[in-house]
Amino acid sequence: MTLSLVLSLLALALVRGTPILLASLGGVLSERAGIVNIALEGEMTAGAFAAALISFFTRDPWIGAIGGVAVGAAVGFALGFAATRWRVDQIVAGMGINLICTGGAAFGLIFVFNQAGVTPQVPAINQELWPLVILGIILAAALQWALSRTPIGLRLRACGENPHAARAAGIDPLAVRLYASAIAGALAGLGGVFLALGELNLYSDGMIAGRGFIALAAVIFGRWTPLGAAGVALIFGLLEALQFALQGNIAWLPSDFLQALPYIAALIALLGASGRYRPPAAEGKPYP
Amino acid sequence: MLDDVDLTCEAGEIHALVGENGAGKSTLAGIAAGELSADTGEVLRDGRIGLVHQHFALIDRLCVWENVVLGHEPRRLATIDRETARTFVRQLGERYGLDVDPDALVEDLPVGIRQRVELLRELARNPSILILDEPTAALSPGEVERLFSTIARLTENGVGVLVITHKLDEVFAHAGRVTVLRRGIVVERRPIAEITREQVARAMIGGDIPSIPPHERTNGAVVVRVRELVVPGTIENLSLHIAAGEILGVAGVEGNGQSALADALAGLTPFRGSIERPAAIGIIPQDRLVEAVIPGWSLVENAMLGRERAAAKGSWRIDRAAARAQCTAIVERFDVRTTSIDAPLATLSGGNQQKLVVGRALIDNPAFVIAYNPTRGIDIGATATVHSELLAARNRGAAILLISFELDELFALSDRIVVIARGALRGEFTERRFDRDAIGRLMVNA
Repeated sequence: MTLSLVLSLLALALVRGTPILLASLGGVLSERAGIVNIALEGEMTAGAFAAALISFFTRDPWIGAIGGVAVGAAVGFALGFAATRWRVDQIVAGMGINLICTGGAAFGLIFVFNQAGVTPQVPAINQELWPLVILGIILAAALQWALSRTPIGLRLRACGENPHAARAAGIDPLAVRLYASAIAGALAGLGGVFLALGELNLYSDGMIAGRGFIALAAVIFGRWTPLGAAGVALIFGLLEALQFALQGNIAWLPSDFLQALPYIAALIALLGASGRYRPPAAEGKPYP
Repeated sequence: MLDDVDLTCEAGEIHALVGENGAGKSTLAGIAAGELSADTGEVLRDGRIGLVHQHFALIDRLCVWENVVLGHEPRRLATIDRETARTFVRQLGERYGLDVDPDALVEDLPVGIRQRVELLRELARNPSILILDEPTAALSPGEVERLFSTIARLTENGVGVLVITHKLDEVFAHAGRVTVLRRGIVVERRPIAEITREQVARAMIGGDIPSIPPHERTNGAVVVRVRELVVPGTIENLSLHIAAGEILGVAGVEGNGQSALADALAGLTPFRGSIERPAAIGIIPQDRLVEAVIPGWSLVENAMLGRERAAAKGSWRIDRAAARAQCTAIVERFDVRTTSIDAPLATLSGGNQQKLVVGRALIDNPAFVIAYNPTRGIDIGATATVHSELLAARNRGAAILLISFELDELFALSDRIVVIARGALRGEFTERRFDRDAIGRLMVNA
């Protein structure tokens, strides 16, 4: 393998890994605040669809991108609201949000564009991906620093470990969890934007293809730290890139298997991680 | 819970609030500290009221200084000023005799040190009144002394301290005033010099203290033999034996291998070494709600848990009538107060739940009983029932392993006491000749 091939593979890995990385950062934030975020998939879907839709009508991909992030945040806020104010089971709420988002996007395609499965081509930001890739990595480092060094980071961690103690210290765990969930939605939405307007220039049903769940695996395998999750997300990106590079080059290996590679890797990673890594102590437990 | 209660705590005084479990002490503390709200009435305060909970409300996976400064972090620009926070914790600790490593992770700390962290956290907020809810429940005698010397320093600094407890020794050794709460009503309030222990005890339970049966001499063969027991990480090379008709008390500070010892004897954890014990055992687990019962199930179903065979018809079918009869027998013999044996267990008070657990462990007359803190968190009346039933089982010839964090309980029931510290036995006291100070020293392995 030549050096240039390796470099292009790594570049592809960064590009493929970035949407997973962004969503996994959201996952880390909401889970450290105490909310299990199984809705990353739905938030990415909502972000991707909204970005394509808005870009189509405004003809400006950056407005589309902002719109996608905002819609992702709104979905995250909805999850947070259900989990904190209504005390809905977070897994159930997350699954519900995933179903609503994928179903809503499919419905929106027919309702708006009068065609099933895919939007028309929309203005995209294909040529300007690197700033977003670098932004993702900087965000990971910034969040790592903020969680350990800033008052708000300490308070967020406190809410995920023991919201009662946080309450006694004058912190409002419900508000912290709600906003953490909304920011998580914005980050996952940005991941969706990256897929719809970055790698492609449209939204199509199933384009998220489980990346939200892979991001969740990255959260767990990265031990709920931003840098850990980002690193694992980029490894998943590398697997996706490998799958592209190998496709058609290995005759005896079915391409279906190569496509399944990242998912199999996620499964194996989770099997290895289960029981060994401890999630935040109050994660998934409604407060009060 | 509470009915027309008045309570005052003055600057620089130690005020003891005593009463049985369920009398409303913790509720009153929560209302005073502003964590709970009352239907009527008001709390007048001059400054902040801090509350140190019975089950420490710390964040296990944050370090000491993070717990202490949470919510009022010292800042440098946008970040937490860690050095200032560490120094703050150290200085506060020196001032009140509560030295703790500011960078230690709370989950790695033993119970006594955790309590210091909780005290530091409240003291960091400059309270004018500090409420301590059962502060000595999990402390060794030495740690209790230390705690009260810290409390003395607090009162010298003008802080009023309200101590909630049910240990009358502590009340009479340290408090200036005592208030007795019974079923949500203040039944007694006096300066400590004007009241006797007996008067306080009688006010707490509203009658005479039930007596427990005498300690008859028994001479049984050894039926439980533990040799060179090793449970990795908790117990190193522990040997002991218990005879039929003997209660062996295990004294020790929580977290020194007692749980692993009980689990190994019960067959719940892998171990090296050898354990000989009778097959028929009764177990009173340490944590009722976690290990002993299913609160949403009825008394009948809970009474069957672990002894389903006793109510089986043929080899596989549960005989409902027999199960009900057995449950009724437990309820009557062990004085479990309930409206119905079909009621969910959660509707009972803690003491009555525990009596059912004890009854379930003893009703089949097992040859060996493991009793782990059998009276933790239950009132004096229920405690007396549990104690007399354990003694009755001993007098019938059962070998009993009694693990308890209450020395008084061990002294009252044990024939022999061994002291466990850091996973090994550090001393043995036979013939019911128990030396409280020596045991206390061995517990902390000084």
